[in-house]
Amino acid sequence: MIQSSNPDLDLTISRVIKAPRPVIWSAWTDRASFEQWWVPAPAKCKVLEMDLRPGGSFVTQISENGGDFMPHLSGCFLAIDDLERIVFTNSLVGGWRPAEQPFMTAIITLQDHPMGTSYVAHVMHKNNADRNTHEEMGFYDGWGTVTEQLAKLVERQS
Amino acid sequence: MEQYSEQLNGIFQTLADPTRRAVLGRLGKGPASISELAKPFDMALPSFMKHIHLLEDSGWIRTRKEGRVRTCAIEKQPFAAVEAWLSEQRAVWEGRTDRLELFVINGQKEEKSE
Repeated sequence: MIQSSNPDLDLTISRVIKAPRPVIWSAWTDRASFEQWWVPAPAKCKVLEMDLRPGGSFVTQISENGGDFMPHLSGCFLAIDDLERIVFTNSLVGGWRPAEQPFMTAIITLQDHPMGTSYVAHVMHKNNADRNTHEEMGFYDGWGTVTEQLAKLVERQS
Repeated sequence: MEQYSEQLNGIFQTLADPTRRAVLGRLGKGPASISELAKPFDMALPSFMKHIHLLEDSGWIRTRKEGRVRTCAIEKQPFAAVEAWLSEQRAVWEGRTDRLELFVINGQKEEKSE
């Protein structure tokens, strides 16, 4: 898998769910099902677009405290591997058009497990520092190292 | 998420500069005066002070003036802010996974009982 990890800004949620893969896949890809679990109650989720193919639009809204539905997620699918993998980002919107406020890419992976299905959500976050390109390139490459070193120095001090 | 994102922008943007990183690196070894910090840089003092202000505004350092000498020291809070933001994101995704799990498991139970 082509995937680089930045432990500072990535997170991985891994779970064995006692249900067969098709059931979980359908909970993810059926709009009405997805709306049931994506946001915590009492908030409500509405799927406006869920075009399950690379470049397909993925737009949801949220209603909190019984209020109007407001924009929630606006992104695009990057990969849809039937029953195996869903990749989406909010760096792009439908048709791969660049988004206003790119923020994260999520990779959802489903694998068979003796107890059911191994469900992994790997979420990669933008570091918010890549706005002005050149000067910051050195920083972008090495920011993990920089903060790690700084953290060590600070810990040593305290 | 919003609570941290603005502060985090400042934290990350402040790190996005070699002079400021060097200053933080130096301060990691212990507090220092402005003149001491400015010494390694071929830079006019007002320009250097801009970096110091950015570091202070974003919370990376605190400064204290005693007589004519301003001393800078590194702050731990930004590290905590990055961690807090990430753990908030983790909680969001943990919650989603919990609810998905409940949803599919309850769905299966209903099917069996029908």
